[in-house]
Amino acid sequence: MKTIGFIVNPVAGMGGSVGLKGTDGLVEEALRRGAKPMAQERAKNALEGLAGYGVKFLACSGVMGGDILREVGVAPEIVYSLGEETTAEDTREACRIFLKEKTDLILFCGGDGTARDVYSIVKDKIPILGVPSGVKMHSAVFSINPRTAAEVITGFLNGELQLKDAEVMDVDEEAYRDDRIDVKLFGYAKVPYKPELVQGRKFIFNEESDEQSKENIARFALEFMRDDPLYIIGAGSTTKKILDLMGLEGTLLGVDLVKDGRLIARDVNEKQILSFLGKREKAKIIVGVIGAQGFIFGRGSQQISPKVIKKVGIENIIIVATPHKLANTPHLLVDTGDGDIDKKMSGFRQVVCGYRMAQRKKVLST
Amino acid sequence: MKQTKIFLEEDEMPTKWYNILPDLPSPIDPPLNPQTLKPLGPDDMKVIFPMEVIKQEMSSERHIPIPEEVQEVYRLWRPSPLYRALRLEKALKTPAKIYYKWEGVSPPGSHKPNTAVPQAYYNAEAGIERLSTETGAGQWGSALSFATALFDLKCTVYMVKASYEQKPYRRILMETWGAECFPSPTDKTNAGRMIREKYPNTGGSLGIAISEAVEDAATHDNTNYSIGSVLNHVLLHQTIEGLEAKKQFEMIDQYPDFICGCVGGGSNFGGMFIPFMEDKLKGKKPDLEVVNCEPAACPTLTKGIYAYDYGDTAKMAPVVMMYTLGHDFVPAPIHAGGLRYHGDAPILCKLYKEGYMKAKAYHQNEVFKAAETFARTEGFVVAPETAHCVKATIDEALKCKKTGEEKVILFNNSGHGHFDLSAYDQYHEGKLMDYEYPADLVKQALANLPKP
Repeated sequence: MKTIGFIVNPVAGMGGSVGLKGTDGLVEEALRRGAKPMAQERAKNALEGLAGYGVKFLACSGVMGGDILREVGVAPEIVYSLGEETTAEDTREACRIFLKEKTDLILFCGGDGTARDVYSIVKDKIPILGVPSGVKMHSAVFSINPRTAAEVITGFLNGELQLKDAEVMDVDEEAYRDDRIDVKLFGYAKVPYKPELVQGRKFIFNEESDEQSKENIARFALEFMRDDPLYIIGAGSTTKKILDLMGLEGTLLGVDLVKDGRLIARDVNEKQILSFLGKREKAKIIVGVIGAQGFIFGRGSQQISPKVIKKVGIENIIIVATPHKLANTPHLLVDTGDGDIDKKMSGFRQVVCGYRMAQRKKVLST
Repeated sequence: MKQTKIFLEEDEMPTKWYNILPDLPSPIDPPLNPQTLKPLGPDDMKVIFPMEVIKQEMSSERHIPIPEEVQEVYRLWRPSPLYRALRLEKALKTPAKIYYKWEGVSPPGSHKPNTAVPQAYYNAEAGIERLSTETGAGQWGSALSFATALFDLKCTVYMVKASYEQKPYRRILMETWGAECFPSPTDKTNAGRMIREKYPNTGGSLGIAISEAVEDAATHDNTNYSIGSVLNHVLLHQTIEGLEAKKQFEMIDQYPDFICGCVGGGSNFGGMFIPFMEDKLKGKKPDLEVVNCEPAACPTLTKGIYAYDYGDTAKMAPVVMMYTLGHDFVPAPIHAGGLRYHGDAPILCKLYKEGYMKAKAYHQNEVFKAAETFARTEGFVVAPETAHCVKATIDEALKCKKTGEEKVILFNNSGHGHFDLSAYDQYHEGKLMDYEYPADLVKQALANLPKP
């Protein structure tokens, strides 16, 4: 029998309805403003399809999971008992226990903050899936809604699904409340997904996994990167694959510089990039699509700043993303912080999505 | 009353095909044997084609009679109607006059039987008992199954395994007409067995299916191979479309200013424009515009290079001079499967190269949008392939609206889309991806190939 570890962040999403743009450290203020807990209800919707399914649930006591499971007719094994107040540390401790108990999947109900807490312990050791219930949800680890979460879980339990790398991202809430957006990419979690039917060779229909798509993109990149310029490689797992295939030890979350097939600098900041650009004439940027909303600039790769983009030239930007990723983002977003650049980048752009294959995708400025 | 359909009587159906080879501005470069790379001779082709077909492939005769037995079968659906798209014109508020030749009236629902029928006939006449061929999604396979049924030939279709399993309706059609249809790769041929050993779980490919069909024909005395596009004799047979259309335009005292059609291998559009191209080549209609419509995901004419290339992945078909994206090119998964071919017919490429025609590439969503507009005005739901030239037609008609020109537009409505409704469904749900060929990056990649 498969085992699911279940966590509800009982205060997730409360800040949003009362204009707080997040609930981190502000539960009391949210409650004072009249916010109602919503995570319980969302969790319930996700679980309803699972009652009677042959699966073992491990959970925290009370509002962090146990109550809801009993409500939908599932008898959980309580592996962690709560004190009076729930904190992020409770989530992390529960995850440590889930890992020890050899859980097959962690299902959590919350937002970016919860995703980050879960990821900080679990990393990519076991798959996770988020039931969306937060104020901020930039991470790609959430199902579209609670109902689809149930479908994904049953598919996973039946062994019908594949796993993909999904971004775990979070905003600095202090900055967010000041209307500044500073979203960081924290890493990639493993998330179950239903592969789209992808037509591979002539008239062949294959189920091409997200991983295979990344390899195809990287194979093509290796070919077109044989030219002269300095390549600025943005953050993310698709661009990382290019470096992997070149045998270079680049960073997953940072920006790396490649020239003539060699890694000339890794994990560089804006200043370092500009100083390299000062030395040479031509450069190109390769960026992936980051997060659930489909950002190409402005989330995750802030090192590639408006100054850098201006210097390189918009015509020298190459966007890469897997067909699966593109199928899940109706359009791409750009938010460099420079309205003029954002405007110039919006409209239809080419996105490399396979070996000698691309898609035309609309880019919007936020 | 404005006339909607222009009909020819059965006895007005053309009795000769038009062979453009002697009228081309310069002779087409000879096809090469894929093994020796020497010019292909009749002996090379004898193993898999009947002599009449080989003669037609290289003929310098301008007009080639359509055998009475073939005309008899053609009359099941030919002459096909020429439609005036009055409702579409009205919806677009265009002064242009839009006409389309409707090839969806054939039993298999497309233009393909125009060549399947004569190919079956010539083989039957030559004493051949069975034809083998390949098919991807099943359009060509079903047309040949229909044709062989009428001439008491057996028919073996190697259908790409994944399509065989996932798109069963065309297979059922083939079996209804009495053909045997195998999911390729099979264990019946060396080529198939080799692939199965190497890749036990493969879904097959058109390249593998061609190899199996050609091997089947080459290794059985009673069996020949049949091809659905690209080669000269296929385009010759398809000229019945354009020859009829010319007569139909004469009846209403009109002549098209603008002709467009969709291009995969080039047979349906070749068949339509070639009889009109004769007038352009001979200086009678110097201003006639001919536009090839192709997918942005497989833009052979607009982004390919003009070079000798293999016709298939397996390197078994003749090497021909054509526009190509490379025989190892794998086009993106667009729904217009019939347009996912890396090359084009040599005749068509020659005329494009010499500047007698233009080409335009389109993305999937705009193409389906045009097809939907067409369905909601004219009623017919066209194949995703055909939808490409519906898009070109609508664009041209809207241009006329701006300029006030009363152009006569003709497009070849090559087939219905009743087996492609899932593609329409995806369009409605906003799930269609706009694939395109990254031409600049590919060029950059090829320019910097490592030197040995």
